[in-house]
Amino acid sequence: MNLVESYKDDLKLIEKPWTGCWITMTVIALLLLPWFGSEHLIYMGTLIFIVSVGIMGQNILIGYTGQISLGQAGFLAIGAFSFGHMAQMGVPIGLALLGAGCMAAFFGVLVGFPSLRLKGPYLAIVTLGFGIAVYQTFASFEVLSGGRMGLVIPKFPALFGLSREASMYYFSLFLGIAFTLATYNLISSYMGRAFVAIRDNDIAAEVLGVNLTRYKLLSFAISSFYTGIHGAMFAMFMGFIDPQMFNFSESLIIFVAVVIGGLASVEGAIFGAAFVILVPQVFSGYKEFVPVIFGVTVIFIMIFEPLGLAGRWFKMRLYYRNWPFR
Amino acid sequence: MRKGLFWMLLLIMGLSLPAAAAAADNPGVTKDEVVIGMTCPMSGPAALWSAMALGNSAWAKHINDQGGIHGRKIKFVAKDDGYNPSRALANLTEMKNDVLAFGCVIGSATANASKDFLLTSKVPVVHVHANPRIWLTTPAAQRRHIFIAYPDYIDESEAITNFAVTKLSVKTIALFGQNDDWGKGAEEGIQKAIKKLGNKGKFAGFITFEPTDRAVGGHALKLKELNADAVVIYGPPTQAALIIKEMSKIGYKPKIFTANPLGDPLMYKIAGPLWEGAYPAASGNVSMPGVEPQADKVVDILLKYEPTLKGREFLGVTGATTMMLIAEGLKKAGPNLTRESFVKAMESIKDFKCEGMGAPITFSASQHHGLNAIRMCEAKDGKHVPISGYMIFKPLF
Repeated sequence: MNLVESYKDDLKLIEKPWTGCWITMTVIALLLLPWFGSEHLIYMGTLIFIVSVGIMGQNILIGYTGQISLGQAGFLAIGAFSFGHMAQMGVPIGLALLGAGCMAAFFGVLVGFPSLRLKGPYLAIVTLGFGIAVYQTFASFEVLSGGRMGLVIPKFPALFGLSREASMYYFSLFLGIAFTLATYNLISSYMGRAFVAIRDNDIAAEVLGVNLTRYKLLSFAISSFYTGIHGAMFAMFMGFIDPQMFNFSESLIIFVAVVIGGLASVEGAIFGAAFVILVPQVFSGYKEFVPVIFGVTVIFIMIFEPLGLAGRWFKMRLYYRNWPFR
Repeated sequence: MRKGLFWMLLLIMGLSLPAAAAAADNPGVTKDEVVIGMTCPMSGPAALWSAMALGNSAWAKHINDQGGIHGRKIKFVAKDDGYNPSRALANLTEMKNDVLAFGCVIGSATANASKDFLLTSKVPVVHVHANPRIWLTTPAAQRRHIFIAYPDYIDESEAITNFAVTKLSVKTIALFGQNDDWGKGAEEGIQKAIKKLGNKGKFAGFITFEPTDRAVGGHALKLKELNADAVVIYGPPTQAALIIKEMSKIGYKPKIFTANPLGDPLMYKIAGPLWEGAYPAASGNVSMPGVEPQADKVVDILLKYEPTLKGREFLGVTGATTMMLIAEGLKKAGPNLTRESFVKAMESIKDFKCEGMGAPITFSASQHHGLNAIRMCEAKDGKHVPISGYMIFKPLF
């Protein structure tokens, strides 16, 4: 949007005073929401923050590194059940979250190995197979997942005199902001640029000195870590998980969120998360037509805004930056 | 133009504020309307259960056509959750301040994920179609707004075993059940019954399957090796139909008994002609469409308002029983309707039969599991014909 004249300029998170102004206002509004918003708004907000962490992770893999993955539900499940078992053992929440993320990252690296030799639809099939295998494993081994009755997980405690829902909201908001900043930082770093180089042309990237093995695996590990944290937060938020909650359609929804939000865009990940949460909810009264409405909305957005919601957001900002001189 | 639009919006908001404030005092109730909410899978893997929402809706329309209750029409709001617990919980939180009560929550995962919300929100809930034992660990004071009439699986399997041995002269029983609390609960019930029956019956063994299993040929062979006279099935319709077909292929045709979720005659469409002669249990709060006139009368009314229920009558009737119970609570609560008066009214329901169907339901201050009952049916000529009286067990809470 602007002419970048130095590396320092490129690293700036907020470029214009107006941008700083609306971001501050948005954060203040989000901080005040539990005081003025309904319980439903708090619930939806919490869910969007949680899901946006996972979408950001998948955007790093799909949008920035160009590795198509359809195994997100598998990483979600690994994060959720790892957290569930650790929480039941009394592991503190922070450690359990970290453990869940690391466990998902470990499996991310394992799944990443085929990516060294496979591309495009072939990689998508491998990751799809991983997602299905994880689902089948959890569904088949009661000791891992609690079977059909699932796992009951301790919920986030009420803190500082706030309700449990408000406490969870603030915790999710904090993690959402932390992961957003971390992602901006990551994509501005050498690592982020290596990811983009691999996406644009992996042979050229290698010629320029990017270690493909290391950075492809890192991309899988980091994105899986994010998704594992998403799964763990979701488990803590719901207080109950069963394998059915992590089936193939969950992978598709995350994939849709990445694309609808806007590939290779951090704010796009947040928009994508909001989209997949809000659209079915807003139209829930239309009963059996909800999937149809969801599908048609996706088609319309892709036809009229191929860059996703982030692309539309970018155009809106550009319009108002020059307003009224157009 | 824009300025005009702004003032119009401001005016609308201003006018709507007092209404919102009034609604917050007595959620879901106005002078001429009472709102009942429901979250239900209407799309996704359990979309078939949308018939329960249609049944609820049709019965609400029927009541409204008769003038409503105490001058209030019932507004029934159903939202799709796609059998996704997070969406179900989102629906419930969205409706929390707009409804008097929730008219049933469906499915174990949804019930488990919503449990904390349902307990803390204090919105009355009539019917949760899931294992009633999930409420056992909650102190009675916390769940005084929850009203359930769903049978317990352990009591059910004990009764099925007892019936098979004493009434149908079955000597040995095997269990084909899901490898989880559901199947294990059934095993516990069967063992209890066998212990009480002494040497009249024998438990041959428990063959488990996983929820994702579709190839059950091996399970059928194992069941054949057990050589039991009867096989009790505790699983979803898909696995039930598959195991019956596989057993038939290898020439093993034991008597089939099933848990109440398979009590819908729709099983004929899933399992085909092999379903004939099976003995499904049916939940105690409904009668059988096509067999019992009380149920047929209800079906006629439901089809008048929701013709799409054709072919799913049993589920429609099951759904409508929730609205019948709610209507009874509303009648008893009188014109001064609040959540508290509704809960008290529900607690005063005694020996209530939903339009004459099923076993009597009784709630009280100390009993919120209003009916824990089943009865045995026989699959005959495309229908489920009751062959036992209602077997009523001690309520769990």
